[in-house]
Amino acid sequence: MFSTSSQRKFWTFNDESELAQLREKHNLEFIAKHGAHVDEYQRYNVFLSPEEERLLLKQYELHLKEFCKRFSPPMPKGVVGTAFHYFKRFYLYNSTMDFHPKEILATCVYLSCKVEEFNVSIGQFVANIKGDRDKASDIILNNELLLMQQLNYHLTIHNPFRPVEGFLIDIKTRCSLANPERLRGGIDEFLEKVFLTDGCLLYAPSQIALAAVLHAASKEQENLDSYVTEMLFRDAGPDKLAILIEAVRKIRSLVKMVESPAKERVRIIDKKLDRCRNEENNPDSEIYKRRMREALDEDDLVYTGQTRMSLDTSGVTQVLSPSAS
Amino acid sequence: MDKDVSNYSVVGRIGEGAHGLVFKARHLPTGREVALKKILIKNLDDGIPVNVMREIKALQLLRCKYVIKLHDMFPRGMSLVLVLEYMCSGLWDMLHHNQSEMTLPRVKTYAQMLLKGTRYMHAHYVMHRDLKPANLLINHEGILKIADLGLARLYWPDGGRPYSHQVATRWYRAPELLYGARYYCEKVDLWAVGCIIAEMITKKPIFAGESDIEQLAIVLQHLGTPTEESWPGHADLPDFHKITFPPSDPTPWPELLPGLEPDAVELVKSFLCYDADKRISAKEASTAAPVVSHPTSASIASGHA
Repeated sequence: MFSTSSQRKFWTFNDESELAQLREKHNLEFIAKHGAHVDEYQRYNVFLSPEEERLLLKQYELHLKEFCKRFSPPMPKGVVGTAFHYFKRFYLYNSTMDFHPKEILATCVYLSCKVEEFNVSIGQFVANIKGDRDKASDIILNNELLLMQQLNYHLTIHNPFRPVEGFLIDIKTRCSLANPERLRGGIDEFLEKVFLTDGCLLYAPSQIALAAVLHAASKEQENLDSYVTEMLFRDAGPDKLAILIEAVRKIRSLVKMVESPAKERVRIIDKKLDRCRNEENNPDSEIYKRRMREALDEDDLVYTGQTRMSLDTSGVTQVLSPSAS
Repeated sequence: MDKDVSNYSVVGRIGEGAHGLVFKARHLPTGREVALKKILIKNLDDGIPVNVMREIKALQLLRCKYVIKLHDMFPRGMSLVLVLEYMCSGLWDMLHHNQSEMTLPRVKTYAQMLLKGTRYMHAHYVMHRDLKPANLLINHEGILKIADLGLARLYWPDGGRPYSHQVATRWYRAPELLYGARYYCEKVDLWAVGCIIAEMITKKPIFAGESDIEQLAIVLQHLGTPTEESWPGHADLPDFHKITFPPSDPTPWPELLPGLEPDAVELVKSFLCYDADKRISAKEASTAAPVVSHPTSASIASGHA
């Protein structure tokens, strides 16, 4: 249930300024850590500004949408929604300069496939990626645990798709609206756009679902206001209704404001990122390769403490496959 | 809890799971005993196994005295370590090494805890899909908890989605799964519960097939050839026509469960029902009033010894 979920407790925020603060904080932290040598007034000549990070992420969200749309075999909507949630959550607490969005994007989708029980092997998955597939699969698998950790292991996502089904059934049974199925096109289009906004970090899935239904109805020149006020919220009291109306209004306005970032601008930011990204997390860098090797080795370290047995007793080797790294 | 292995002192090895080792450890800041389940990822082709994801998701959702608790998790090198409640024993151990302790009152208590845990899971739309004695752990206080939720998944009551039928350990696998059903429901868990209760009473597995086919043969032989009445729709299951068995009449229950009180037989029967729709639910079974008369047997489900 959403009301008792980690999504509500940890990942639904008060307003957009709270999100902006978190993002700016991690932008500044990155710069503080990696830019000690850079003059304060020069820092955004070297590093991405919070605004540039936003634009870049918007562009990568479009990539995420396209990647899922073209994915073969066809991907259920829930997988896409969950991947969007993961991607947005990750960059609330990390800078794009630390972890490149193209790498995190693929990892988010891969993790989402697993969590949503859309079973594809890593081979099938990277077949959807252009370029060096072995490298892509290494990057994804290396990032998977990092991503889970950054999500604080909150894997379960409540998407608006099921509430939409609930509303449609309810409308069919309690409402005089003719042929509610015709709303689907408008709903799908709306939900696709919602994921390009911060909506899912601010509102409950049922609120987003209702906004989608109401939007689709108005596109069909229909009005479901009385359904909302007289049926859904009949017994809820005016306060709750007011909150809902405001939420729906905000969600619809977020969707209305969706626009693609200017291509040229993003291209420049992307270039800039190549120069200022954290090389430690760049799969092409020597330092990254060395760290990966160390992580593999660390796993086999044996504790020598007196009272402590290691987590890695020799028994571990029994479960290693012969083809191990 | 602090997310680091340095907060734990490993005191021993408990066993080997499908993806790595399980250790007994002490959480140093609290002194709490825990089980550390270490999942090696570096040699797995597809990264973190889906059943580990399922287990994490299910355990995060379920907070019940009769379901094992996931305290925490943290990465270590290329492994993921799950920190679970420590359980000193399990039903499998009890059935194999401590049979004398499996008195009827205790069986009833375990059955009741198993039903409560199952009822809780199902109330949260989680089906376990692998209930068996080895996955039922028991702690120092004698509380039985459902563990190993690697096959557990969310289901929707509308039943619109196919699931893999390659679930559950053979002896506890519901007949619809044996016939390859892809559309099934949480009632597969109740079949397993029935098998487990019968096994606790008689101290041996009720249907112990050596192969999938033999498993089906044994079930049919004991419960009788299903009919369209006893099991509507069974002839439409994917594997039904792949194999036919000689027709058989049901074995009388007193023979199947010798020495058992009639109301206990009734209860086991209500789980081991071909038709999943008629198979008793965990809620019904755990709330059922003592099934009639006999004072000494009371009802297993209600747990009054």
